[in-house]
Order: sequence, then structure tokens, then C-alpha cells
Amino acid sequence: MTASGRGWTVVMLAPSVGLLTVFVLIPMTLTIALSFYGWSSQTPFASARWIGFDNFKEILSVGSVGRDFRQAVGNTCIYAAASIVLILPLSVALGLLVHQSRLRCATALRTILFSTYMVPMVAVALVWSKLYSPTEGPINQVLGWLGIAPLPWLSRPDTALEALVILNVWQQLGYFTILAVAGLTQIPETILEAARIDGARNLGLFWHVTLPLLRRTLLFSGIIVTINAVQVFEPVAMITQGGPVGATNVVTYHIRRVGIERSEGGLGSAMAMILVIVLSAIVSLVFLAAGRRSEK
Amino acid sequence: MKKAPKRIAQCRLEVGRGVIKAVLYILVLGLSVAVAFPLAWMVLSSLKTPAETLRSPPVWYPASPSFEAYAKVSGIIDVQRSLLNSVAIASVTTAGILVTSLLAGYVFAKQSFFGKNLLFALMIATMFLPPIVTLIPLYRIIQTLRLDGSLAGVILPNLASAFGIFLMRQFIAGVPDELIEAARIDGASELRIVFQIVAPVVIPPLAALGLFAFVYHWNSYLWPLTVLQGNDGQYPIVLSLSRLLSYNRSAINTNLVMAGATLAVLPPLVLFGFLQRSFVRTIVNTGLIG
Repeated sequence: MTASGRGWTVVMLAPSVGLLTVFVLIPMTLTIALSFYGWSSQTPFASARWIGFDNFKEILSVGSVGRDFRQAVGNTCIYAAASIVLILPLSVALGLLVHQSRLRCATALRTILFSTYMVPMVAVALVWSKLYSPTEGPINQVLGWLGIAPLPWLSRPDTALEALVILNVWQQLGYFTILAVAGLTQIPETILEAARIDGARNLGLFWHVTLPLLRRTLLFSGIIVTINAVQVFEPVAMITQGGPVGATNVVTYHIRRVGIERSEGGLGSAMAMILVIVLSAIVSLVFLAAGRRSEK
Repeated sequence: MKKAPKRIAQCRLEVGRGVIKAVLYILVLGLSVAVAFPLAWMVLSSLKTPAETLRSPPVWYPASPSFEAYAKVSGIIDVQRSLLNSVAIASVTTAGILVTSLLAGYVFAKQSFFGKNLLFALMIATMFLPPIVTLIPLYRIIQTLRLDGSLAGVILPNLASAFGIFLMRQFIAGVPDELIEAARIDGASELRIVFQIVAPVVIPPLAALGLFAFVYHWNSYLWPLTVLQGNDGQYPIVLSLSRLLSYNRSAINTNLVMAGATLAVLPPLVLFGFLQRSFVRTIVNTGLIG
């Protein structure tokens, strides 16, 4: 390439690389560094004091800091696991419905499903706080028609997190259904045809042929559901404030409360580091397990 | 002798198919209604009277729909200003992402230089980082730049997007090299090639990226909340909604809260309505999967 061509390469890359470096890579590096410092996030970086592993020790200790953080991690794990268990099978079922039924109204269902993904989480949280209302809400009313006793939903520790999971599933299902449809579209018709000639039918065809071929799609969906689950913030910040009694205290909400609202920047950074480590460990384990299975 | 059972079986199969089709229709219809229900409830509730929203069991349809709640909301939050702030944040950010992604996507797809793959991998890795991980130092950086409390502080860190770069690289890689080579021979500069030769070919993914970025930044809450804390003149509509929270405690103000939510939901939904075809097609084709 000519010298002027090289010049253009730099000019064209500079905005993206510069912005991502200053506003993602440098902050990431700072998070790693600050996790070893005592630092108030209201003061300049220069005022940070080296304290080694003290932040990590405090988080892993039996004290209230450690207890609250572990509760937030635990709640986030439950939230993520429950979201995966609900979203993946539903996305495949709905994907099959949209992809294979060849009904004209299936496209309408796809559009409606996906439209929920466009709605701001803040509005979703407000609307569902009304739907969940124990006395004036329609959900308990419908449950009543089915003969099910009214549930306390957001107001009780044992149901609040589940209520948030349902809200999450409602908002995200459309996106993952589209991914499932995309995965189904890529399965060659010839493979399905060959399996049919070999006598595979309905459930057997689905279980032994379609589902294994969807594995990569499901793996990708599972990872995205997990990463999204870590980010849940709005419904907690708006509706539950982490309560009742910490039942909906999740990591993003907790780290922000520690690092920004209480200005304990060093401690918050250490929590963020632990989150990154746990998250990467989970994702690599999933990939490793998936890789090993496909080798068989 | 043998023929009769076969015909019956076939007939059963036909009836069976008809029943299956009917069941599928009902299933799809039911699911559509169930999924659309929360948003329908939101709009219906915004048109109810306080007396109706207090009723238990709940009233589903307002007896005489009124827009009173919308007038009341404008008395509590500056709706016009909030919507304008949202438009400013979402559209400037989107424009930035489209330009930076197009340029970087072109370089990563069509040029070669030392360390390209490593740099690309480094940029793409940022895509999977949950925002909370960088939030605390990022907030301090914005404070140091004296941009906290301003729309510029909300917008600036988001003008480039790893997802956007990835998406554009995928699609620009499919643009024939001959097209670009011919333009180079004609003496077109690289910048001109990107905007006059490449961009027109990748309009559908650009439109999808634009919609995605606009909706994402219209809806985003965590970052604007952190940057704008307390400066409500600059609040986008989703942040202004949090000012309705004190009204959310009692069911008497449900219509008001739902009117506010409706105002925040409509713009991204309408935009989606216009662009949904190219959006869905792009997700199916991103190559992120399969």
C-alpha cells in the first residue's frame, strides 16, 4: 500500500480505537489497578493509597461487606440460571413455531415478540410493578380465575427475584427467538430429509437431529443471557432498591451503590474484578465443555 | 380389503393436519395476545381515571378514556425537554457509531497492516465487558474532563462501538474487492471509497445498526443516571420517569405513571415499526451464529 494509503488507515482507525481505548480499555486497566488501592471515587486518582489485597480480603471475609456482596452474586446467579432455564427452551419452541408452522400470523408473532426488546427497561419495570400489584394488578386476577391464590410478587423476599426473572424473560424472549429462527434457518433441508428417510419423526427428529444442530446457537444464546443477566439494574433501582431484605440485591446495583453512591471506589473496583473473573471462568468452562462434547 | 384402512388412515391424517393447523393458529394468537398484554395494559391504564385504577379487582377498559393523565405528567416533568434530551443523546451517539464503525469496519475488512488481527481482537473483547466493570473509573474520568452533569458526558464515551465495528466488518468483507480496486485505480482516496463506494452497498446493515444504537441509547439508564445525577434539566425521558416514582407508591396515580411510561416507549417502538424488516434480517445474517 502507498504511504498515503497508510495515512488513511490511521485516520480511519483513530476515532474507534482512540475512543474505545480512552473510555473502555483505560477504565478497565484502572479498575484492575484501583482494586488494590483505598480510594474514594470523589477524589482524584492520585489520592489513591496502595493497600495490596485488603479490598479482596474484606470482600471474601465474613463481615457485612463480604456478606452483602456474596448475596448479590448469589442473587445474580439465581437470576441468570432461571433466565437461561426459561429463555432457551421457550426460544426454541417459539422459533420452531415461527419457522416451521408457515402460518402467516407467525410473522406477526415474531414482530410482537421482538417489539418488547425495544421497550426501555425503566418503562418495563414501571408497567410490571403495576401488573404485579397484589390487589389492583391483573396478574393475580387472572391467577384467581384459574383458581390460584394471589401471590405477593415484589413485596416478599421469596417471590421478588422470581418476579424480576419473569419480567426479564418477557423483555428478552423475542431477541433469542430470532436467534433460534436464524439457527433453524441454517439447518440444511437435506439433513432433515435424510433423517426422515431413515425413519426419524417429530419428537425423535427434533431431539436427535434438530436440537444437536442448534447447539452453537444455544451456546451463544446462553452466554448472552448470562452477560445480560449480570447487567440487570433498572427494575432493582426503580422498584425494589435491592429489597425486600436484600432479595433482589444484584451485582450491578450493588457495585454501583458501593463504588459510586458510597464513593468506595477501590472496594467497588475489587468487586468488579471478582465479577469479571467469575464471569470469564463461567464462559470459558461452558466453551470448554462444549468443545469437548463436539470432539466426541 | 387392504385399501379401506389405508384410506381411513389418510383421511385421519388430513383431519389431523387440519386440527394441528387450527391448534397452531390458536397457540400463535394466544401467545401474541399474552406478549402484547403488558404494553396494552400500560396504554389502557394511562387512559383510566384515578377511581378506575384504584378498583380491585382491576378494571380492564377505561369507561371514558381521557388524556388527563398526560396533561398531569407534563406538570411534574418537563416532557418536551426530556424528549429533546433523549433525541439529542440517541441521535448524536448513533451518528457517531455509524461513522466510526463504517470507517473501522472498512479498515479491518479490506486493509492489511501489522498487528491487525490482534487489534481487532482487543476491540471486540470490549463487547463482552459488562458496563459496571468500567463504570467507577469512567465516571471519574468524565468528572476530570469536567463533563459530569452534561449531555456531552453522556454521549462522548459511547461514540464508538465494538459491536458496530464487528457488524460492519462482517458485511464490508462481502463487498467485492474489484469494486474497491477499480475506484483506487481511478484515483479515489480511501475516505471517498468508504463513503461513496462501500457505504451504499451496506445500507441494510447500517440501517439495522442505526436502529439498534438509537434504541439502545434511548433506553439506557445506568450511564446517564451516573453522569447526570441531580441535574434534571439534562435528563432524558427514561431518567425523568424516575421522578414519577414517588407517585408509583399509591395506585391512585397509576394512570399518571403509565402515561409517562407510554411517552418513553412510543419513540423506539415507532422507529422499530419502520425498520423492523431490515433489522430482523440483519440479526439473522450477522454471522454471530451458525
